[in-house]
Amino acid sequence: MTWDHFIYFASSAAIFWIIASILALRNSKKTLPTLLTVLGLGIFFTFIIGLWMSLERPPLRTMGETRLWYSFFLPVAGLITYQRWKYRWILSFSSILSIVFIIVNIAKPDIHNKVLMPALQSPWFTPHVIIYMFSYAILGAVTLAALYYLVREKKISNKSHLMDMTDNLVYVGTAFITMGMLMGAIWAKEAWGHYWSWDPKETWAAATWIGYLIYIHYRLRKTSKNKISMIILVFAFILLQVCWYGVNYLPSAQGRSVHTYSTR
Amino acid sequence: MNNSRKTWEKPWNYTEGFIVAGGIALAGLLLQFSLGNINPTDFGSPINIIIGALFVVGLLCCHFLLKDNHIIRWLSSVRSTFPALLIMLLFIIILGLTPQFTVNEPQAHLPDNIFRRMGWYRMTTSWAFVFLCFYTLVILGFTTLKKTRQPQSWRLIGFYLNHLGLFIALLGGLIGSGDMQRLTMTVMEGKTEWRAQDAKGDIHELPIAIELDTFKIEEYPPKLVIIDNHSGKILPENRPESYMFETTGKTTQLSGNTIEVLEYIPQAAVVRDSAFTSVVPMLMDGAATALKIRVMNSSLKEPVEGWVSNGSYMFPYQVLYIDEATSVAMPVQEVKKYTSKVTVFTESGNTQKADIEVNKPLSIEDWIIYQFSYDETMGKYSKTSVFELIRDPWLKVVYTGIFMLLAGALFLFIVGPKKK
Repeated sequence: MTWDHFIYFASSAAIFWIIASILALRNSKKTLPTLLTVLGLGIFFTFIIGLWMSLERPPLRTMGETRLWYSFFLPVAGLITYQRWKYRWILSFSSILSIVFIIVNIAKPDIHNKVLMPALQSPWFTPHVIIYMFSYAILGAVTLAALYYLVREKKISNKSHLMDMTDNLVYVGTAFITMGMLMGAIWAKEAWGHYWSWDPKETWAAATWIGYLIYIHYRLRKTSKNKISMIILVFAFILLQVCWYGVNYLPSAQGRSVHTYSTR
Repeated sequence: MNNSRKTWEKPWNYTEGFIVAGGIALAGLLLQFSLGNINPTDFGSPINIIIGALFVVGLLCCHFLLKDNHIIRWLSSVRSTFPALLIMLLFIIILGLTPQFTVNEPQAHLPDNIFRRMGWYRMTTSWAFVFLCFYTLVILGFTTLKKTRQPQSWRLIGFYLNHLGLFIALLGGLIGSGDMQRLTMTVMEGKTEWRAQDAKGDIHELPIAIELDTFKIEEYPPKLVIIDNHSGKILPENRPESYMFETTGKTTQLSGNTIEVLEYIPQAAVVRDSAFTSVVPMLMDGAATALKIRVMNSSLKEPVEGWVSNGSYMFPYQVLYIDEATSVAMPVQEVKKYTSKVTVFTESGNTQKADIEVNKPLSIEDWIIYQFSYDETMGKYSKTSVFELIRDPWLKVVYTGIFMLLAGALFLFIVGPKKK
């Protein structure tokens, strides 16, 4: 299986996700939307596995390959939120965001090949990137909730329920970026000789991490304002975007990052 | 927040937090103007041990002796944490937006502007940044100590793991940087070496010697690309295509051309005189990879056939002209694996044989030996391997902190936020 087949798998998965989202918005029963989302995820994951086998390495090296995992984990995060906190709108949000990333991958495909640089040949490679992509998806879902709050603040009746959800998701997301970051540190020690070198990617990973720590600590006080909390979340997610792919475009990071693995 | 409260009135809150954190950064900046960047090696053992011990003892003394002091209480609360984290984040964002230079880069090479005087081109060794790290440590320390006074519960395990873990990792990393040694050692096949070079170019004799038994590079199969004859760029320019060789007889599409691989010689001599190129097998060092291919496209009357090679230190590369504008070329093969078979001797009498690869360093006594580089002019026939030798006596401390944080993150995931 190659990227040429992506469009078929992705579009059929997307159709299931869209139907699930519409049903979730209209219906109060959770069974059918859940089933359809899982079905879409199954189709999508089949492609990932197929690509993995044909590349003979985990598809986690290039930006396009990380986007692939992100498109997969977003509906997962949406589904968890939908199941646990019963927000009907979250599935449509996570599906749309996932489809955006699918479209990016179809419109701007990466050059793909089997090459895996020696620095990436490590048992840490797969958990490091997958954990990060999962946390990015969770934190993406929570950002959608924050934007939802900021746009419709006056119309939301049960604010504490929503804040409960963002708190929970941020704890999960932060737990995972912490693990991703520390696994990265241990791996960096093995591959590059030092656990932390303030490489541009590492610097922005630290910034992102602190961004979410600010939210967690700010929320600990009873005097915290919901609106400010949500603004912190949106800001932290911007830092996350810089860390994920923004560093590739930052003039300060040009040619300085050892974290670039897209081939020329 | 009580709005009628004035700044500096007890109890302190966020406002004071911003002023204190900002003041600490400012103090660092003033030191920066007079002293320049910190040189971590000036703070090597035993100075860093003394600083670390004084710091921890100081925290403990303040905690036990100034129990009811409102500043200590404030320093162990979110009211100081939140502003401190924000100011720290601000500095890390500046660090992320400013190009960074290593300690060994001469000061004159840095852009000449106000950022240079503030030390921001070497942010992590600037006084303001290091002061803010220590301020974060002060807050972390007091916060952790204060928790010990509260009724204990299993929920607090996560708190201790995260806060104490970060304290240990951060303090160990900060003061440990003074003792870290990073050296490179170049060894030739069959030779033994014990002298290594630091980043400044000074030679050090080490209590450790490396004998290089063999050095081997494994490469990925060769690739074919279509290039523009004038610019040399791989086509199509917006999304360069390449084909990785699998077996002979296979046909592939590259940028509008159909290419069939006819013959493959992994070790070949490529000899070219004025008009004729001959390619023959050569089982010797210096041999190049060569592929014989047939190319056809819609504008050609008949297929073009010939050899393509990426050359070696002995032979030039060889492209196949398709037409005026384009050619088929073979880029240098990507490295799959470098392996140095070594025997390492230490002064204390240890001898160890090992294969050192990227991602597979060798730990021996205080040192970790990494595969770093090789003689690039010789390519895969390099008879030289370059190692990086790193000694970081504080690594165990930092790892203790990192593993506590890892466990703490797991705890955070399982237990989640406090129910309100």
